[in-house]
Amino acid sequence: MIVKNVKAYYVSGSGPDVKAVDNVSLSILEGEIFGIVGESGCGKSTLASVMSLTAGRTLKVKDGEIILNGQSLPLTDRSRVPKEWHGTMVALLPQRAMNSLNPTARVRDLVIDVMHAHHPEIRPADAVERARERLEQLGLPVRVLESYPHQLSGGMRQRVIAVISTLLNPHVLIADEPTSALDVSSQRQLIVLLQQLLEHQFISRIVYITHDLPMLSNFADRIAVMYAGKIAEIGPTVEIVGRPKHPYTQALIGSTLDLDPRLRGSQVKGIPGAPPDLRYPPGGCRFHPRCPHVMNICSIEEPPAIGTEERFAACWWVKDQVDKLSVEGAAS
Amino acid sequence: MTRFQRYLLNKAFWFFLAFFIALIFNFLLPRLMPGNPVDAIVGQMATGGGLSGEAQQRIYAAYIAEFGLDQPITSQFVTYVSRLAQGDLGISFARSPARVQQLIGQALPWTIALQLPAIIIGWTLGNILGALAAYKKGWLDRGLFPTSMFISSMPYYCLSIILLYVLAVFWPIFPAGGGYSYALTPALNWTFFSSVMEHYWLPFLSLVVIFVGGQAIGMRAMSIYELDADYVRFSRSLGVDDNRIIAYIFRNAMLPQVTGLALAIGSLVSGALITEIVFGYPGIGSLLFSSIRQNDYPVIQGVTLLIMIAVLTANFLVDITYGFIDPRIRARASGD
Repeated sequence: MIVKNVKAYYVSGSGPDVKAVDNVSLSILEGEIFGIVGESGCGKSTLASVMSLTAGRTLKVKDGEIILNGQSLPLTDRSRVPKEWHGTMVALLPQRAMNSLNPTARVRDLVIDVMHAHHPEIRPADAVERARERLEQLGLPVRVLESYPHQLSGGMRQRVIAVISTLLNPHVLIADEPTSALDVSSQRQLIVLLQQLLEHQFISRIVYITHDLPMLSNFADRIAVMYAGKIAEIGPTVEIVGRPKHPYTQALIGSTLDLDPRLRGSQVKGIPGAPPDLRYPPGGCRFHPRCPHVMNICSIEEPPAIGTEERFAACWWVKDQVDKLSVEGAAS
Repeated sequence: MTRFQRYLLNKAFWFFLAFFIALIFNFLLPRLMPGNPVDAIVGQMATGGGLSGEAQQRIYAAYIAEFGLDQPITSQFVTYVSRLAQGDLGISFARSPARVQQLIGQALPWTIALQLPAIIIGWTLGNILGALAAYKKGWLDRGLFPTSMFISSMPYYCLSIILLYVLAVFWPIFPAGGGYSYALTPALNWTFFSSVMEHYWLPFLSLVVIFVGGQAIGMRAMSIYELDADYVRFSRSLGVDDNRIIAYIFRNAMLPQVTGLALAIGSLVSGALITEIVFGYPGIGSLLFSSIRQNDYPVIQGVTLLIMIAVLTANFLVDITYGFIDPRIRARASGD
């Protein structure tokens, strides 16, 4: 799956647009869990809504394209999204499981409606049967089909939603902070369920969006770090966590708690300053007002992506380091 | 005993408790009004002249005894309740020997015929308009919302009087008052029926317009709330058909509206009291109004009893049907 040049701005009645996602490109490989991490307001949920084709009315997608399974879909005109993209190509695992099921319908009713929307000829009993099989394969209780949402626990509700989202075997599942309202054991159960869905090849890739980097690093294959509407750094999880290049990633990791006994007594550092107002993003690199390694050029020109498409950091300082290394290498 | 039966029993208990307390008030309140019905009757007789003081005295005492007003109030209450248990509402003071049941029986069909269609049509129309305004937005919403707001915040007798002035006095399109032409006597023929229809439009219109406005505002607000709900976004993300989603929204937004309908039907008897008075319509409202002026306790009690039973029953039915429509309430009620 390739996501190209996504630009998504919130249009406010007066004043400039909020540039929530600005020129973001990603490529997500088959079979992987791709994590997107960032603090509140960095545009990760906006990106999730664009990628899952569920952007609200106030969000204007100015540019962007998804290429998935040999088909390409321009993102700028939401009214022309073919129906089969919803649910069979791209599916959403939403943030608030509490309210994502219709409170007055049984789970089976939603299953029937979802199946019917894509297979008009299917009989209701067969639709329910398919969901029943799926639940059994995933080791979930079948009785949930007959339940109303309020009869399920929060964790179970989120797992049921995950099963319904993937009922049509979508090529990508966009998980938008699905565990943010869950306790840790329910979080774990959901993650295990998502991994099962991949193993059974019900879905071929997952984009997992969260602010919780330590949790994400437990199961993501690769991670993209977002800051102020842009991708700061991308890399395999071990690289991002173990050898972060971008100063923002370094600061983010420096500000998380670690249970490693060797680090006992060391200070957890915060990041000075606050994320920028995305109506007036700072020029050049958007992190430069808070960056410990800031240079002159950082406020003038946008930083280039240093590295390969699979592993890069968008930073002038990183470029500087790389340049120095190559000069030293040439000198010796 | 199943949980649902326990729920029913619980609701029934409260129903009867509320009924009994209301019954006491129903009996006491008219008697707290200043004045005495017998005074009014005897006074009327005396204006005819020719009655000696002694005769007046005897007539007065006879009436007091006949109506049981010489008894202590507790035994009056016991008499009232025991007669009520036999389905006897008593005899009208002012229009004796007419029985209260008979007076109500004459007035009630008029009230129901006026209100029930007004409520049902107003409710249906209001809900459809409200849901459409929320869903379509644009000019429909911009026009409908302020208009509904304006109409529904106007007291309904105001609209009645305005309609009466504009459509009956200024442009005399409709007759100004009454349930039928005064020149006619009620009969099952075409002349009478067309006269009734002619007199029907104005009070009907004044009720429907207000009702549509109120319902549309409520339904619009509920639909907008439901449209933004997470389940709508999630269902859309899976490509569920739009008309299925609208069905979800409509059903969930309808829940409070169903209460509104049931309560409107419950308060039907009392609902348009002033409308009936404004248009001189021969319904329960007019009957109650004239009875109050004549201190006619039995009729007042009879009418308020009817209102009370209607409101209580409607509330009871709302409680029960709500459980069927909304699984969450069923669950909470049965402790599931």
